[in-house]
Amino acid sequence: MPTRKDDSERLFLLQGTLDLLILRVLLFGACHGQGIARAIQRQSQDVFFVDHGSLYLALQRLEDGDLISAEWGVSENNRKARYYTLTKKGRAQLTEKSSQWQKLAKAMEMVLTTAPEEA
Amino acid sequence: MSKRRRSEEDFAEEIRAHLQLEADALEAEGMEKAQAERSARLAFGNATIVRERWNLRDRWVWMRDLVDDLRFGARTMLRNRGVTAIAILTLAVGIGASSTAFTWIDKVQLQPLGGVTEPDRLVNFESVTPNGEWVTTSYPDYMDFRDHLDVFDGMAVTLMSAFSVGNAEHSERVWGELVSGNYFSVLGVKPEQGRLFLPAEFGDAIGKFPIAVISDRYWRSHFNADPSIVGRTIRVNQHELTVVGVAPPAFHGSIPLTAFDLWIPYMQQPVLNGVQEWMLRDRHTRNLLGIARVKHGVTLEQARLALKTLAERMAVLNANVSQGMSATIMPLWQSPHGPQGLLAGPLHILMGVCVLVLLIVCANVANLQVARAMAREKEFTARLALGAPASRLARQVLTESLLLTGTGAMLGLAATPWLSHSLKFLMPPGPMQMLVAVDSRPNLPVLAFTASLCVISALVAGILPALHVARLDLTTRLNGGGRSGSAGQRRQIMRSALVISEVALALVAIVGAGLFARGFERTMHLDPKFDPDHVLVSQLYLSSNGYSLVQRKEFCRRLEEHMQSAPGVNRVAFSDGIPLGFQPSWWEELKIEGYTPQPDENMSIFRNVVSPGYLPLMHIPIVDGRNFTDQDNEKAPAVMIVNQAFVKRFFPGGNPIGKMVHGWGLWFRIVGVARDSKYHYLGELTPPYFYVPFQQVYREDMNLAFYVRTPGEPQSILSTLRRQVQALDPNITVFDAVPLNEFIGASLYPQKVAATVMTVMGAVALLLAAVGLYSVIAYSVAQRTREIGVRMALGARPSHVLVMVVRQGLSLTIAGLFAGAVVSIALARAVESVSFTNSAMGSNIRLLDGNAFDPLIYAGAAVFLCVVGMLSASVPARRAASIDPMSALRIE
Repeated sequence: MPTRKDDSERLFLLQGTLDLLILRVLLFGACHGQGIARAIQRQSQDVFFVDHGSLYLALQRLEDGDLISAEWGVSENNRKARYYTLTKKGRAQLTEKSSQWQKLAKAMEMVLTTAPEEA
Repeated sequence: MSKRRRSEEDFAEEIRAHLQLEADALEAEGMEKAQAERSARLAFGNATIVRERWNLRDRWVWMRDLVDDLRFGARTMLRNRGVTAIAILTLAVGIGASSTAFTWIDKVQLQPLGGVTEPDRLVNFESVTPNGEWVTTSYPDYMDFRDHLDVFDGMAVTLMSAFSVGNAEHSERVWGELVSGNYFSVLGVKPEQGRLFLPAEFGDAIGKFPIAVISDRYWRSHFNADPSIVGRTIRVNQHELTVVGVAPPAFHGSIPLTAFDLWIPYMQQPVLNGVQEWMLRDRHTRNLLGIARVKHGVTLEQARLALKTLAERMAVLNANVSQGMSATIMPLWQSPHGPQGLLAGPLHILMGVCVLVLLIVCANVANLQVARAMAREKEFTARLALGAPASRLARQVLTESLLLTGTGAMLGLAATPWLSHSLKFLMPPGPMQMLVAVDSRPNLPVLAFTASLCVISALVAGILPALHVARLDLTTRLNGGGRSGSAGQRRQIMRSALVISEVALALVAIVGAGLFARGFERTMHLDPKFDPDHVLVSQLYLSSNGYSLVQRKEFCRRLEEHMQSAPGVNRVAFSDGIPLGFQPSWWEELKIEGYTPQPDENMSIFRNVVSPGYLPLMHIPIVDGRNFTDQDNEKAPAVMIVNQAFVKRFFPGGNPIGKMVHGWGLWFRIVGVARDSKYHYLGELTPPYFYVPFQQVYREDMNLAFYVRTPGEPQSILSTLRRQVQALDPNITVFDAVPLNEFIGASLYPQKVAATVMTVMGAVALLLAAVGLYSVIAYSVAQRTREIGVRMALGARPSHVLVMVVRQGLSLTIAGLFAGAVVSIALARAVESVSFTNSAMGSNIRLLDGNAFDPLIYAGAAVFLCVVGMLSASVPARRAASIDPMSALRIE
């Protein structure tokens, strides 16, 4: 089964976050679309649901934006596959966006976990 | 980018590869092959849709973003109803006014004539007097031009005229044109019904063509659009004419802004108006407006030169009547005849003012948008944090400002037809008012103009807020809230700059309003040197009732007699021309005993043909010699009264009385000198002028104005006049009876339009600037609540705070005033040189008569704006002064 969690526990990706996740996956080396989808699902411990159709559109968008580049190749099990690699620009973008996210997440965390103060 | 575009097939291939890989993976996890393939497809979703979206990706994303932006923009706008309403309404005013001005300019100058083909090849031709003034053309001159020039496809002439249509029991006045036979063919008009004039009817034979063409408007209102009208006869000036066709709806005749209903061959004039046939052969009778169609491939310059060469040759050949004359052509809108001649100057100023107001509106909307962008910083920050690029946010702001201007433009456009009609209310009283036809349906050029205005204002109003949003910096925003950072200061500077420019533009508008209103007022108070109060003037159209010249004179004599003895009448008189009127004044070429003109001297002198009662009725004193009497009739020797300017020019130092002057083929003896008065414009330099007796000179082609002086209200005598006219001839109707002092308002028309428009626009500008100032000060007070609280906690009194805030508003206002003064002076200098008419009657009369730098107006406008600025600042200032330090400090 492609998904192992119940639908109610899964989160649909926010606009803009999918791009960041793709870039992150590609940081570990070239990968094809199906591999990226699997990796995101696996690394998020199945919290994120990746719509495969949208994934390919996102890949195209990143490719058009020169953040990734693509090349046809052969998979481990000898299937034809299109492999994506992070470009220099993509790498820079990933660094920038990741730190923003971390700041935001930290701030959110802080706000959400602080005990209510007296007004 | 030179990157090869990826093929659709390649993408489909990738999807197939994905399904394969996914199925492999699932199989490896223990699924059955068929089940695995199905699951892979299911997890992918609808591949066709994905391919579709991939295919449309560029356009799709752009479109979807736009739709999102619009939807989101509309939602935010609805949330801030007040601000949105102000923005949209002010934009509607600015865009609506500009579109209206453009509609008028379009009608007057860009496409002055509707229903004609290739209007850009149509030109007016004008005769030129020896001193360079433009005048209308005589029929024989026209024939020579028409028959001897090959630079034109055709030349036509026209004479506007009032007709009485209908039978003896019921007749009504209809305005039409007497035209040369080829008129419609030169203009390239296609008939709506029937036919127009045929080449066989183009001839110069007098009285041969008892035919007429009627307008679509008249056809619908009087014949219920019945096609059988073609071939029927109508009764015009008591003569039967056959209607041969109906003109198309868009065609209103050959004078811009004027709608005629009837076109009759010029050669019918002797029959219809009783004009003597010799007048049609008289080169002196220069009364025809000329229109020509320039041949393809001939430039305006070549055509002008060819016409000029011929006209100058003719001036030599006909030296006795045309010495020194020439001729020229000009684009239709430059023609000095008809309303457009008067409108051209004011319309350009109006357009300028509208652009000015629109700029103020844009500055104001920009201001509101910047303020809103600041209020929405949290929203923008969240979107940035979620990965939206700054450019996308800037686009969102621009889209919103486009949404505002678009809505404003639509409202403005909806109001344009109504506003267009207001041109009518600005027209002077008298016959012209009924003629003005502004086709108010917005046409393609107007729509295009409005659309581009809308986009430009969206850019002007949106660029600063968009830049502001694009500069938002996520880190500072998340850390400091940006309340006291340098970015906050920059924004406040931006808003201050906007307010300063608003104040500057408002000053320009107010100074303009002041200059024009003052110019208007000054001209209004110029003494016309005759007394227009308590005088009713009306026009009689006797020739359209089939009167011969003798009958007309007799009618006038008897009407004068009857009115003189009626109660409530002090005096009556009649004349050909009405002074300071909207209609053209006529002149005569004179030879003067004992005066040798310079070779190029213009001896065409303006004149009036008057009854003996005219000068006393007008309270124009005779300073030397005597007035006309009833004995100066057809049988007596011809006599003339001249004005003082005439004496000064032609008899310097000598005694004019008894001197002989030649005109109309007669020798006149000067019997009197009348005091100078105003003849065409109140601001004019008095020209030489003369009067000749009605009984001796009145001709068939002259007008007839009837004056009654009464001790009371001029209108109160109208019923008496009607009764007396009816008693003499029940068929004659008194038209256009107006008090003379209203009628002469026509000469003030261009200045009145300019002053009215500037005052309205100045008020709008002032209001907008006040709103802008208020919002900036109010915002800054809100931002400084804590600071003010601290100050007050440290002992500042409320009055200190009040002064501090008002001073801030005042310093913005004063900075705006300095900028505005510079612009105003530059603009006033440019406008000062605009002359509002180029006709022979009023050359050198300017809209701003030498008072463009009146320091009082500049100072007054500045003080006024300061007061308004202080008032707008005082509202938020009072709020600031009432801040309670304790709660202000606790707010955060």
